[in-house]
Amino acid sequence: MRNVVLGGLLLTGIAASVPAQAQDTVRIGLVQPLTGSVAYNGKSVVEGARLAVEEMNAAGGVLGKKIELIVEDGQCTPANSVNAVEKLVQKDKVVTLVGAFCSSATAAIMPVAQKYKLPLITGVSSKASLTEQGNPYFFRAAETDALMAEAFAKILANDLKLTKVAYIGVNDDWGRGGVEEFSRDLTALGVKTVLTEYFDHGATDFFTLLTKLRAARPDGVFVAAETQDGSILVKQIREMGLDTKVFGVGSWATADFINLTGEAAEGIHAAVPYASSMDTPRNQTFVQKYEAKYGIKPGKYGAAGYNALNIAGQAIARAGGTDAEAIRAALAKTSYEAPNGVYKFTDKGQAYGFDAVLVRIEKGAPKVIASTPVDAPH
Amino acid sequence: MDLFPQFLANGLVMGVFYALSALGLTLIFGLMRVVNFAHGEFYMLGGVSGWFVTNHLGLDFFSGLIVVAASMAAVGWLVDRFLIERVRGQGEEPGILLTIGLSIFLVNGTLLLVGPAPMKVAGAVAEGPLFFGPVAVTKLRLLAVAVGIALIVGAHLLIRRTRLGAAMRATFQDPMAASLAGIRTGHVYAATFALGCTLAALSGMLLASIYSAQASVGGLISLKSFVVVILGGMGSFAGAIAGGLLLGVAEAMWGGYVSMGMVDVIGFVLVILILLFRPQGLFSIRTERA
Repeated sequence: MRNVVLGGLLLTGIAASVPAQAQDTVRIGLVQPLTGSVAYNGKSVVEGARLAVEEMNAAGGVLGKKIELIVEDGQCTPANSVNAVEKLVQKDKVVTLVGAFCSSATAAIMPVAQKYKLPLITGVSSKASLTEQGNPYFFRAAETDALMAEAFAKILANDLKLTKVAYIGVNDDWGRGGVEEFSRDLTALGVKTVLTEYFDHGATDFFTLLTKLRAARPDGVFVAAETQDGSILVKQIREMGLDTKVFGVGSWATADFINLTGEAAEGIHAAVPYASSMDTPRNQTFVQKYEAKYGIKPGKYGAAGYNALNIAGQAIARAGGTDAEAIRAALAKTSYEAPNGVYKFTDKGQAYGFDAVLVRIEKGAPKVIASTPVDAPH
Repeated sequence: MDLFPQFLANGLVMGVFYALSALGLTLIFGLMRVVNFAHGEFYMLGGVSGWFVTNHLGLDFFSGLIVVAASMAAVGWLVDRFLIERVRGQGEEPGILLTIGLSIFLVNGTLLLVGPAPMKVAGAVAEGPLFFGPVAVTKLRLLAVAVGIALIVGAHLLIRRTRLGAAMRATFQDPMAASLAGIRTGHVYAATFALGCTLAALSGMLLASIYSAQASVGGLISLKSFVVVILGGMGSFAGAIAGGLLLGVAEAMWGGYVSMGMVDVIGFVLVILILLFRPQGLFSIRTERA
């Protein structure tokens, strides 16, 4: 936060004295929620992004210049994210945009990126329809709910012996998307839906919802929620004395989630594109560096920020200049070796080729129980 | 129908929590006529400092509660002496702007110091469920309800039965007459604001042990507290309790029988109804300012 404020002050000074063309850095704009109920996850993305920028700058930067990361708070809301992008484009003259976490916010900034003809990469927003809008400037370096559901529905249904499932999601595009995709794939496998409910971001008390859940008697609960909402929800599931199996999507395989949720986290399953316990040499180096810098193991969102910035930086280097069209063309040819596999983009800008994992939380640590590469959507 | 007892229990527990978190606001809003938009941020500070004293200073929950109460009373006193004092007697708008500014400052100051991560306040008792027939609650919730009721009764007695309480009521009825009678009104204002802040902070810490403390919870708390205060009537303790319970039960029933996704709308629907049919609130006798 301090860096953002200081950065803002410094930039105001620079903008006043130096014409914008004379930039001696390559600027990348990052829009993430830094306040509100997903602020914590947004901050993880920023941490990962800073680590990537630091690494690239240590290796000489791109185009012979240092990369400068400019972070703005989009608060996970469409309106604020659009304001943040306008500021990054108009005032900071960034050459590439990364953001904006929540699918609803990303959907709102996509047309803005297209208007200014700037490439936009998201490392997080997973609502399937985003890449179906024919926006040539948009690239998603993340799994979609549909791809995750496809990859894990069968494993979940068999491993957890699911017959009746309740679905709970946060009330936004991402939560609703997750619930829809998983319920569709699980229903196709013969699993009955007994309850579908949504709650608002920042909700704290779930007893009413859980009363309905108890009455519905499911043998599994699917939850689409981020760290703060999710940890409180899982805790209250146990406080209500329910012992249904819990599985879901969101930032669940992280040290913080486990710490906040305590014992209630034991035995829950999470389908995630990244877990710090993934067993590849590149991931071990990444975890080591991240832990040295931030004192905590990276979670899904730390990795997402790291990957998105590396993809952006490498594309700018390959483009050989800051021309937006050249960067866009370079992005389309991405083949980036991430801690969790190799990222490539389809014609629609959807990433594929990287690995996703299903983890179970055991003794306070995420244990990988299944791993599968995410295929290109068909 | 078999779900009804559980919905009712959930609603009543939430109602006490709402009443508790609105208590500080009804005091400051109702007695001092300061529209305190920083109320939710004092609640948040209570939770965050509760996390600090239990996690970093290693105090147990109740000693922590006392430390938080004392330090937030001091904060409230200082805020009144150095900030609210400057806009006193200038109508409501300067106070609104001042407290909005203060709330922005407090949120961002907290973000700067402790970051946006949710924080866990170690509760006083274990978290497991208790069953009363078909109704599940937790010990922690029952404890919070008990402490909440104790705080509400305590604050009520303080205002109705003590010399300080009498001085408060006198000051807010007629500051001129009160100071002519020898009451140091400056101190009374500060004490009232400090009491309001302390109540907000205590509810913040109490509820953070059930949910979690986080830098940006304040906005929602302020909104809900305003709903409770408008429902119950400004400055009325009985009103805050009735308003809180009404909101809690209404939300639980709506969430239970209609839909969870729209639950935050209920409070505002109730406010619109109250403003249409009984604008002074359920319990306020006064319809005009003194």
